[in-house]
Amino acid sequence: MSGDHPLGQDAFVARRRARWQQLDQILAQRKALHELPPDLISTAGRLYRTVCADLMRARAAGYGRDIVEHLDQLAGRAHNRLYRASPYKISRLWDLLARGFPRTLRESWRFVAAAAALFVVPLVIGLLATWANPDLAAEVVPRGQLDMLAQSYAQGFSAGRSESADTSMAGFYVYNNVGIAFRVFATGIFFGLGSAFYLVSNGVMIGATLGYVIAAGAGRNILTFVMGHGAFELTALVISGAAGMRMGYALVRTEGRTRLGSLREEGPPVARLALGAAIMLGIAAVIEGYWSPSSVPDGVKWGTAGALWVLVMAYFAFAGRRVAAAPGGSR
Amino acid sequence: MATVHRADYDARVRGRQRQAPRMRSPVAPDGLDTLVEVETPEHVTFRVNVAGPSRRAVAYVLDLLIRGGVLFVVALVASMAGVDVEFDGWSTGVLLLVAFALEWGYYILFESLWSGQTPGKRAMSLRAVKDGGVPLTFLDVVLRNLLRGADWLPAFNVVALFVMAFDERFRRLGDLVAGTMVIAESRAHIGTALMVSPPLTAAELETIPASAHLSGAEMSALETFLRRLGTLSPARELELADMVAPMFARRLGVRYDDGVRFLAALFVRAGGQVAAAGGGAAAPVGARRRA
Repeated sequence: MSGDHPLGQDAFVARRRARWQQLDQILAQRKALHELPPDLISTAGRLYRTVCADLMRARAAGYGRDIVEHLDQLAGRAHNRLYRASPYKISRLWDLLARGFPRTLRESWRFVAAAAALFVVPLVIGLLATWANPDLAAEVVPRGQLDMLAQSYAQGFSAGRSESADTSMAGFYVYNNVGIAFRVFATGIFFGLGSAFYLVSNGVMIGATLGYVIAAGAGRNILTFVMGHGAFELTALVISGAAGMRMGYALVRTEGRTRLGSLREEGPPVARLALGAAIMLGIAAVIEGYWSPSSVPDGVKWGTAGALWVLVMAYFAFAGRRVAAAPGGSR
Repeated sequence: MATVHRADYDARVRGRQRQAPRMRSPVAPDGLDTLVEVETPEHVTFRVNVAGPSRRAVAYVLDLLIRGGVLFVVALVASMAGVDVEFDGWSTGVLLLVAFALEWGYYILFESLWSGQTPGKRAMSLRAVKDGGVPLTFLDVVLRNLLRGADWLPAFNVVALFVMAFDERFRRLGDLVAGTMVIAESRAHIGTALMVSPPLTAAELETIPASAHLSGAEMSALETFLRRLGTLSPARELELADMVAPMFARRLGVRYDDGVRFLAALFVRAGGQVAAAGGGAAAPVGARRRA
């Protein structure tokens, strides 16, 4: 190892190769590193450092590319196995719901307000327009679907629905509605335009459907149906849109950073919003599948819906305000 | 150090990121390769290969097949169990839930459990990592995979391909937002000991003055060249050799007739190590041209 006389490449390889192979064998195991026997784990750590040193040496001595490449890749694979992401704890999820999500939501109130406006205003316009002139609804929603909805809501809920039908609908709501919310969020990357577009189009469609069904005389029923899970579903859709717009806005207003840097900075809060919205949509799907269509008297449904709205709004307004020993914080 | 505490690592990595971004240009000094340098907390830099669109596409298709296969099997089991596959039923609900989980949850589940890998990625030796080579956190995984909703548009990942074409690290939108990239974990194999065959004769070596001294870069260039012999056509070998051989000949004040043999002899005289001949595996150097 004397410095002045560098080891020839082949001699270097001959001397070190066994160690490289040993590390290679450990890495080739399918098991995660922490599941291996303890002595093997510490051997892997030691070998990894050796390989790092060998890599630096091989590069400094100008050894052939194959050696440097081999060591590069060996060190890279070892690095990726040794430094794994932290294990997932359920307490993290609790932390997100109890603090991270509502805090980030309040912090992004401008985006939430903008998203709410983009969703609610078209919804109200669509509702009023189709209420006054039901034929307009066919412009945005297929007429067959409208008639089917009007008919089914005209029947009311007294008959209830079978449990299996409930399950199938809950599955459908998860697949369809959560999928839509994810798309509303994801398309925000196009400078927020995708989110805005989907918010407006969903607003118009929901408004038009509501207006049509109300005009057909089943207004009370459809509102009874929608109000309960709406507390979670409609708010979560708006939040997904807000998250998407916040992401898009990071591309527009960079505050002196590169667009990419600005985007990356906004990544974690935006992910928290999207994740929180996804959980809310899951809750909404359960309510929508099992509670909303049930034969519970309307009065109870309205009372519950009111309570849910108050609960959700109170959660947004107050959850996570106390500065507890909260690792992670709001940003 | 085997189980490095994540928080500790994070702190160190973050500390360095604040100083200056450690990522060097992906265009490595040695040419067109898609290499990115990663510096570890041990202050060791190593280069990783960024995975290109084609390899990622294969991994994507593999994952797609797996997801489709799972959905098919679940549907088959549901129908064989005698449950009606009408819209009005448990099976439909469960099937839709499975479809949802496969569409949005598959990547999130595997990339968080397998540290940036899915079955498709694993089969192709790919791995998603943070830009600094650090493993993904759960939020990173969620972000890069939710953005598939935008990457997929308008159909079949067209946006993703378009964005990747303009990014030097082939990142799609989800990668850009989450600050991740997909690397290829390939294994380069170390070549066997360098051999020149037929062995250099004493006469050949004599033509080079004993005082020949080459720089480290020159030696490594010669070695790289000599190791490639046999993988190139003889004409190409000669063509390559003749690009540098005249320069060395002029410097040393000697003449040569076969550039390849000359460079091999020069390498040995300047201190390069060549294994003693013996195996017939090594390609003949210059022999075919001699006849």
